[in-house]
Amino acid sequence: MMLFKKLLRHNSSQWQVHLRSRSLRVWIAALIGCLTCFLVLLPVFSQQPVEIRFLMLAPETPLFAPLIEEFERENPDIRIRMVEGPNATNLVEDLYTSALLLGSSPYDLINLDVVWTAKFAAAGWLMDLSDRATPQELAQHLETSIEAGRYQDKLYRIPWRTDAGVLFYRKDLLQEAGLQQPQTFTDLLEVSKTLQQKTGVDWGYLWQGRQYEGVAAMFVEVLSGFGGYWINPETLEVGLDQPEAINAVNFLRGTVRQGVSPGGVTTYQEEEVRRLFQSGGAAFMRNWPYAIPLLNSEESAVRNKVGIRPMLSMPGGQPGSCLGGWGWGILSSTPHPEEAWRVLQYFTSERVQRINALKGYLPSLRSLYEDPEILAEFPHYAEMAQVFEKTVLRPSIAQYAQASDILQRYLSAVFSGRMAPEDAMQTAASETRSLLGRLSSAQEARG
Amino acid sequence: MTQATNTDVIVQRDRRIGWLLLLPALLLLIAVFAFPIGRAFWQSFYTQNLGTELQPQFSGLENYGRMMQDGRFWQTLGNTTVFTVVSVLLEFVLGLAIALVLNQAFRGRNIVRTIAILPWALPTALIALAWAWIFNDQYGVVNDLLRRVGLIDQGINWLGNPNLAMMAVIIADVWKTTPFISILLLAGLQSIPDDLYEAHRIDGATPWQSFQRITLPLLMPQIVIALVFRFAQSFGIFDLIAVMTGGGPGGATETVSLYIYATVMRYLDFGYGAALVVVTFLLLVLAVAIAAFFLNRSRAKTSAAP
Repeated sequence: MMLFKKLLRHNSSQWQVHLRSRSLRVWIAALIGCLTCFLVLLPVFSQQPVEIRFLMLAPETPLFAPLIEEFERENPDIRIRMVEGPNATNLVEDLYTSALLLGSSPYDLINLDVVWTAKFAAAGWLMDLSDRATPQELAQHLETSIEAGRYQDKLYRIPWRTDAGVLFYRKDLLQEAGLQQPQTFTDLLEVSKTLQQKTGVDWGYLWQGRQYEGVAAMFVEVLSGFGGYWINPETLEVGLDQPEAINAVNFLRGTVRQGVSPGGVTTYQEEEVRRLFQSGGAAFMRNWPYAIPLLNSEESAVRNKVGIRPMLSMPGGQPGSCLGGWGWGILSSTPHPEEAWRVLQYFTSERVQRINALKGYLPSLRSLYEDPEILAEFPHYAEMAQVFEKTVLRPSIAQYAQASDILQRYLSAVFSGRMAPEDAMQTAASETRSLLGRLSSAQEARG
Repeated sequence: MTQATNTDVIVQRDRRIGWLLLLPALLLLIAVFAFPIGRAFWQSFYTQNLGTELQPQFSGLENYGRMMQDGRFWQTLGNTTVFTVVSVLLEFVLGLAIALVLNQAFRGRNIVRTIAILPWALPTALIALAWAWIFNDQYGVVNDLLRRVGLIDQGINWLGNPNLAMMAVIIADVWKTTPFISILLLAGLQSIPDDLYEAHRIDGATPWQSFQRITLPLLMPQIVIALVFRFAQSFGIFDLIAVMTGGGPGGATETVSLYIYATVMRYLDFGYGAALVVVTFLLLVLAVAIAAFFLNRSRAKTSAAP
């Protein structure tokens, strides 16, 4: 202590000596003047740009890089930081989840898959956009693509691209056998068998049957076609053990049993199915529109021989294509909601969707499906517009991931012959009910 | 007298310095092991999920009660046990055989040794993808070979059948991790002096007798290490199965780690996930303890025998 005091005294006396010299006093005054300039005056004249950050699937970053450049040129007060994520939807979801769990996320915006919205909203991670978006603006989008962004009557996500399951068929084979496109699932089986006999095509119908999210997307389409439902998001009723649902499962199991689909479909995802179809191995396929340019590419064996159409249905059912796609949401932890909203508006704007549409990304704005320039480049957009008129949503509930896993497990158990359809669907329904019941009782206990 | 107290003081000081030197390591262990494990225990008594808006709510043993009724948990536990026991046993037998071969002197031994480690050095996710294609029913190599030999005329749907899918992931795992065991055992084999075998041979022992009396007992420490390592690793298998089957078909290959991952990361059900972690952790510790006990006993027996 003593030593310290001594040092201090020594120092202060030295300072006094220095301060007495005049030139030093002038220097200090000049320095203080400069600092004031920097700290107070500069920010007033030139606002520091706000940084808006988000994570993006790696393959989509090249699409957004020029858009960001354009936006920044027109909005000098905002800088956009696009972080390149992995090339797998579930990994990007995990990255967002772990960042958000820690409380303060490093991101402001989020590019949401349709099935994420409810979970992220229920966790309180998304900002309510209901008051920001005007009804007129929303009315320009495809109805279900906006619907998919709602959770408990609030809007959390605005779409920038859509997707929907499509039935692909071989025009040449139908013509060769003199047959019409099938309209019902029963037709599909009959037409397939005839084509297999008459044209020698190996398989009739290909679909995704592996235990993964894709099987749930495929199943809601068949379910809708048979007039059944999975979960009613409002009443939380479960319809998996209803006769319609069991008929739907029986139809899918029947495709393999009757030799219309190869046994392997129960292990296939989109790509396995697409490859088999592209090599000319089947007459029909359920897949997403991403396959269209690939099927018509140079190395494809079915180039220009493929047609697309909306999903099938049975009497009493509604044809429905499962809606996919991506949209933007704002994270509730962002310190810059206004700037984030401006970026969101730009990314979902007609101008940007138009640029993306010309690169093959299906837009969510209806007007673009009638745009002559886009239609000249991608004639199939006209058919896609029809598909989008009849879409079904996977249930928008907070516990969607868990409910989907239950469905996937029991569908897969049926497809692999482990369980009979009735048993499997009854167990799936009761597990889903107890899941929904458990979470709603926890909610009641809370408040 | 004074001399004795002096040494006492020295011993005491040494001890104190010893603890001081150990302290950083102990703190590190507490930070990376004791704390997370303790936290999982604590969290398992709370309900914390989307139903509670991710806020923890004390719920006592509710999570454990739910686990008792959770068919999926028991199924995954059964799958994990089957996967672990079968794959580790196969890997051990094959790994030992390969180690014995690689321990012999032959031309090109170094090259063969290098090639033998390759599967272990490759990233698991990558080889899982390769094996998924190998077992593909339309284009897979396995079906193609079987077809050429004439054993089958329709492709077998390997990954679509519960038992075959389990077999397929076990085969992929055995291919990938047998080298790990064989390298460990090879190191052990090389530390056994050749004179022992020579003396045993002169005494009139057959190679099989030498294997039983010299190789196995002297190799026991490496065997124990290899088995315990593999057991713990295999019990936590994630990437291989996630890529090859995603736990399908119908959950037939879903392991405990896959289920825990889904519960925590995808369902955001942290309390229940913590309970799953705790039970799996205790089961794993118990299994390793039992295995170590039996191996110790057998080691004591073999070393007691002449």
